Amino acid sequence: MKILFFTGKGGVGKSTLAAAYAWQLSQKYRVLIVSLDPAHNLGDIFGVEVRGERRFSQTLLLKEVDLKKLSKAYLKREIRVLSDTYKYLQILNLDTYFTVLKYSPGIEEYAMLTSIEESIKTENSFDYIVFDTPPTGLTLRFLALPQITVTWLDRLTQIRKKIIEKCYTIQNIKGPQSAGETILSYDEKDDGILQKLYSLKSNYQSLNRILQGNDCSIVLVFNPDLLSLKESLRLIKGLKELKLPLRLLLHNKISPESGETMARVEKEISNVTSVPLERVSFLSDFQTNKDSVLYHIKEDLTNIIHQG
Amino acid sequence: MKLSVFDLLRNICKDIDKTHRSNVCALTVTEVEELQNIFALLLLGSFVGLPSPPSFLAVELLPYMQKELEILSKRAQNANDMFAEMFGALGVG
Repeated sequence: MKILFFTGKGGVGKSTLAAAYAWQLSQKYRVLIVSLDPAHNLGDIFGVEVRGERRFSQTLLLKEVDLKKLSKAYLKREIRVLSDTYKYLQILNLDTYFTVLKYSPGIEEYAMLTSIEESIKTENSFDYIVFDTPPTGLTLRFLALPQITVTWLDRLTQIRKKIIEKCYTIQNIKGPQSAGETILSYDEKDDGILQKLYSLKSNYQSLNRILQGNDCSIVLVFNPDLLSLKESLRLIKGLKELKLPLRLLLHNKISPESGETMARVEKEISNVTSVPLERVSFLSDFQTNKDSVLYHIKEDLTNIIHQG
Repeated sequence: MKLSVFDLLRNICKDIDKTHRSNVCALTVTEVEELQNIFALLLLGSFVGLPSPPSFLAVELLPYMQKELEILSKRAQNANDMFAEMFGALGVG
């Protein structure tokens, strides 16, 4: 299964190109297109109402992720576990404290990451999953999340191991405990926190491997304008730092008028990356010919992306 | 039940042994508590304005953190007299 992320500045045409690409792919393969952008317009592009999930054709499934709903579901699940553990604390209005968590930064990115993870791990019946992502800032944040989390998990695991090591020493010196004394957990297997840290780490490492792997591709969409150029350069730098596979650049919305800016944008981008670049332009007969496709987009885009 | 002199001596020896063992590891116990405090503080730091890991990590681990939270709260209460606490743990004075 191949995974593709369409990224870029807001308004450059990510969603349209992702949709066009998914539709083209669906002529040969089974494709799932997932919109992660809170301002969903997948349904508008395909001219249907998606409302979560909708089959557009035999081989193309459309999905719009509701991040607010996902965050709520995630928090509800966690709060239930918390309430079970801290039942006796309910008297202190713990519920009020937990509802504050929904304003906590990072929960939406986490919900987004969980949604990507879920799609990758459960939607095995597809040959391709195409993700239409939100604008650059949020995309970089959630793509960086697995790596940041693994770094934190490593540090926390170190502290936890040190605690268990010391508890083991205490247990050894004190000898067998008499009734009523607190028994310290000195075995890694008995420590719930360490076990949870291990399971979270293995989960994020596997997700990271998928995101950095050969089957994952990131497509950067940009326009012939300087704002889009600056943001694209930032995104390229960010992706490099995260070691995420940028495999195709799409120069969208080019026209005969964009000549000089187009050349400048392409030159500056080619200075920082050697990834193949494709130009996408409006067809001149778009308005008149009803049977023509919206964009002039190469049929063999898949080969360009996956030849490496 | 009446204890024989031998049993009495044995119990005294046991208690002395236990006291010595407790004294020996008192500092390590304090160290463990401090480590648990640091662990909780790192994980839940965002609630007191410290840079912290992604908040969902805290949410994921919170159900297992009962003891750490108790220590964190105890440390927060005693924070105005930490020297006394440290001197106590080190047996100074």
